[in-house]
Amino acid sequence: MSSIVKLESSDEKVFEIEKDIACMSVTIKNMIEDIGESDTPIPLPNVTSTILEKVLDYCKHHHQHPSPQADDKKDEKRLDDIPPYDRDFCKVDQPTLFELILAANYLDIKPLLDVTCKTVANMIRGKTPEEIRKIFNIKNDFTPEEEEQIRKENEWCEDKGGN
Amino acid sequence: MSSALSSQPTKRNVKLDDIWPELEEGIYKIITDLYKGFPKNKWMALYTYVYDYCAASQSKTTTKVGMPKQQASGANYVGEELYNRLNLFLKKHMGTILKVTETKMDETLLNYYYTEWDRYTSAMKYINNIFQYMNRYWIKREIDDGKKEVYEIFILSLVIWRDYLFTPLKQRLTNSLLDIIENERNGYQINTHLVKGVINGYVSLGLNREKPKETILQVYKSGFEELFLQATETYYTNESSKFISENTVAEYMKKVETRLNEEVKRVQQYLHPNTESELIAKCEKVLIEKHVEVIWNEFQSLLEKDKISDLTRMYSLLSRIPRGLEPLRATLEKHVQTVGLQAVSSIATNGGPIEPKVYIETLLKVFKKYNDLVTGAFRSDTGFVASLDKACRRFINENAVTQAAKSSSKSPELLARFTDFLLKKSPNNPEESEMEQILNDVMIVFKYIEDKDVFQDFYSKMLAKRLIHGTSTSEDLEGTMIGKLKSTCGYEYTSKLQRMFTDMSLSRELLDRFNNHIEQVERQALGIDFSVLVLATGSWPLQPPSTNFSIPKELQGCEQLFQKFYQNQHSGRKLNWLHHLSKGELKTKYLQTSKSGYTLQCSTYQIGVLLQYNQYDSLTAEEIQESTQLIDSVLKVTLTSLTKSKVLIAEPPLDGVEELSKTTKFVLNKQFKNKKTKVFINVPVLTQVKEEIDSIHKTVEEDRKLQIQAAIVRIMKMRKQLAHSSLMSEVISQLQTRFNPKVNVIKKCIDILIEKEYLMRMENSKDMYSYIA
Repeated sequence: MSSIVKLESSDEKVFEIEKDIACMSVTIKNMIEDIGESDTPIPLPNVTSTILEKVLDYCKHHHQHPSPQADDKKDEKRLDDIPPYDRDFCKVDQPTLFELILAANYLDIKPLLDVTCKTVANMIRGKTPEEIRKIFNIKNDFTPEEEEQIRKENEWCEDKGGN
Repeated sequence: MSSALSSQPTKRNVKLDDIWPELEEGIYKIITDLYKGFPKNKWMALYTYVYDYCAASQSKTTTKVGMPKQQASGANYVGEELYNRLNLFLKKHMGTILKVTETKMDETLLNYYYTEWDRYTSAMKYINNIFQYMNRYWIKREIDDGKKEVYEIFILSLVIWRDYLFTPLKQRLTNSLLDIIENERNGYQINTHLVKGVINGYVSLGLNREKPKETILQVYKSGFEELFLQATETYYTNESSKFISENTVAEYMKKVETRLNEEVKRVQQYLHPNTESELIAKCEKVLIEKHVEVIWNEFQSLLEKDKISDLTRMYSLLSRIPRGLEPLRATLEKHVQTVGLQAVSSIATNGGPIEPKVYIETLLKVFKKYNDLVTGAFRSDTGFVASLDKACRRFINENAVTQAAKSSSKSPELLARFTDFLLKKSPNNPEESEMEQILNDVMIVFKYIEDKDVFQDFYSKMLAKRLIHGTSTSEDLEGTMIGKLKSTCGYEYTSKLQRMFTDMSLSRELLDRFNNHIEQVERQALGIDFSVLVLATGSWPLQPPSTNFSIPKELQGCEQLFQKFYQNQHSGRKLNWLHHLSKGELKTKYLQTSKSGYTLQCSTYQIGVLLQYNQYDSLTAEEIQESTQLIDSVLKVTLTSLTKSKVLIAEPPLDGVEELSKTTKFVLNKQFKNKKTKVFINVPVLTQVKEEIDSIHKTVEEDRKLQIQAAIVRIMKMRKQLAHSSLMSEVISQLQTRFNPKVNVIKKCIDILIEKEYLMRMENSKDMYSYIA
């Protein structure tokens, strides 16, 4: 049984968690290695308590159920290999999903970063630029000429991916 | 509503100038005051600054259409400015340290350098983690894009240390290290921990451009090792020349051994393990190779004085350098040979008979002494084993004793006699428990004997005698000895010996059957105790009798019964009676002097003579010869033995008579007296033995010719055609295990075979033989 560490979210809520689980975040792991363990909470000024709670849920789950990553060099480009728990985990509203991505990136939790980004990628896949703009509420700031040029530059991938 | 993706970073729109002062202060604290501890929130704050800076700025700089190709492939990361500031900061820090070193020298310099290095590297591990976000994105991308001057933060810190501090200091550092090491070699205590720390730093600075996570030894090698090895060479060149001129070689070798051990320990204590092989090689060159002649010259005198521990040391030192041992092998060979020859000379009796036991034990003593040396001090080095073998072979086969006997076959003869002495029943036999060891010793000498066939001949004669006369110590031991010979020389060598044993046990069974037969079929008593050995002519080295002999009638019945019985069992086999090897016992009943009578143990010929006195009290030589049919010489020997033992009395006495007169009377001595009740009537043996030895040597020569011829035919049958020289060498190699065939004998044998038309000389080619099928 590993010791407990305390994590403090940006809204000053303190979470207690096993060290092994907290160390799924490489950032926290590095910090503990540098400073050593102590009772004072580790401040995480870039993560809100809502998001931190979710991140910790994810870590706890994967700590208890280590994913059978037999082949470490799994094809990172694959989008259809999200395990069921992770798929459910990512069924959240868009702002939460993006905050999870940022938190995963900040805390350096590679599996969480991968799975959240894959989820976003799946949302984009097979959609037209117009549809994508709609989904993510993006204003089209290209001039028609610019758009034409981009299309030209990317023709090769349209052709390849075209059905 | 703005997009969620860009909402957060824009909230923290971070400019470098906003965060740098605090970052710089934190980094400075870590680099200078880490030992005071560093708070978590501070660490996390610094990490967050770096993150915010790199993450926030990246979304600000939107990808613009038409950007250079290599950057259009993905997101655009930010970090260069921060990286440059850190870079500059670290370089400045180096400047500060370098300034301080100007006032320091030697150990204080090393001390200061090592403290700073230690502090710096631990701090940079922190800073590397704090800059991890930059490592992960901006730096990684730059490296992936092939920018050589961008490194992960920790590597960057080492590069800066190397280029801005280590390089300007290198020469002073290395010189201080070399001074300190020289101090240690001179016997002073030094701070090995410090030396190790500084040297490890050299290793860490050997950065591998291709694989930044690994180090190469280039900095260590060029900055330290090379100079260190040079210094070592100089140091030991001076020391060794001085030492060897003031001390004995034995002392010098001790010194070298100590020095080599010290250097190995030095590597373990504070150098890189890679240095060991080169360092030791250098030391070996300077300490051993350069003085090898002096060391070699000492070998002979150490051998003479039996300085085992010095010899051991010399071996272990010289075995380190190429060809260091070669001259010693020849010296050892010569020395052992000399010692062996001297030892034999000291016991040689100028042609007189020599005690086999003394001779063999003398040989063994020399062998054992040097065998111990070779297996101990020289660790059974194959070259020395070979030298010992060569030397032993030489002095065992040719020495003062063999020269006095004018025969190289003297050694196998004496060895066979010694073995006979061991295996013949006698009160002087060694303990059973020692026997195995002594027989092993016999085999040691045997191994070196060249004329193994001579040994074989003597041995089988002596074995035959032991078996026939029942004088063997034990059959087990005989079996053991034959087993040893077999494992050394092979089945063929001992097959005859083995068959002699078989004959012995077959004879025992046969005799049992014969006795049963007499009892049950013939239903008559023999009247005497009778036992017989039936021995196959081919397996036994036995001579037919040299004389006629008419067997006395008292024994005739018995002999005939057995002959009949045997012919029934094996029709077609011929039995030859070897009366000259037989013996029997007679009981006296004609003496007043002893009531119980004497038992006379005599040869069959003696029995033949004595049994006549059952009818007569006095007989002339002629009468005796008539009834026994013995030829003159045998008759004389037989009668002489009987008069010597005073069973018969010659009239006139035989003393000094050359020729036995036919008219000499032999009278039964009725006053015969003896202390023992069992009397052996000795047959004089000396003349017999002499003849025997000569005959063995003669048969050996004949046997060898036959063996050489057989070998030639075997070889030619297989090769069909062969050059003279190859035939010679093949014959020699085939026969070497038995004896060393002489070249002129082989030539003679080839001529014989050509005459017999087994071979022919080939007409067209010189010196070629061809086999005639």
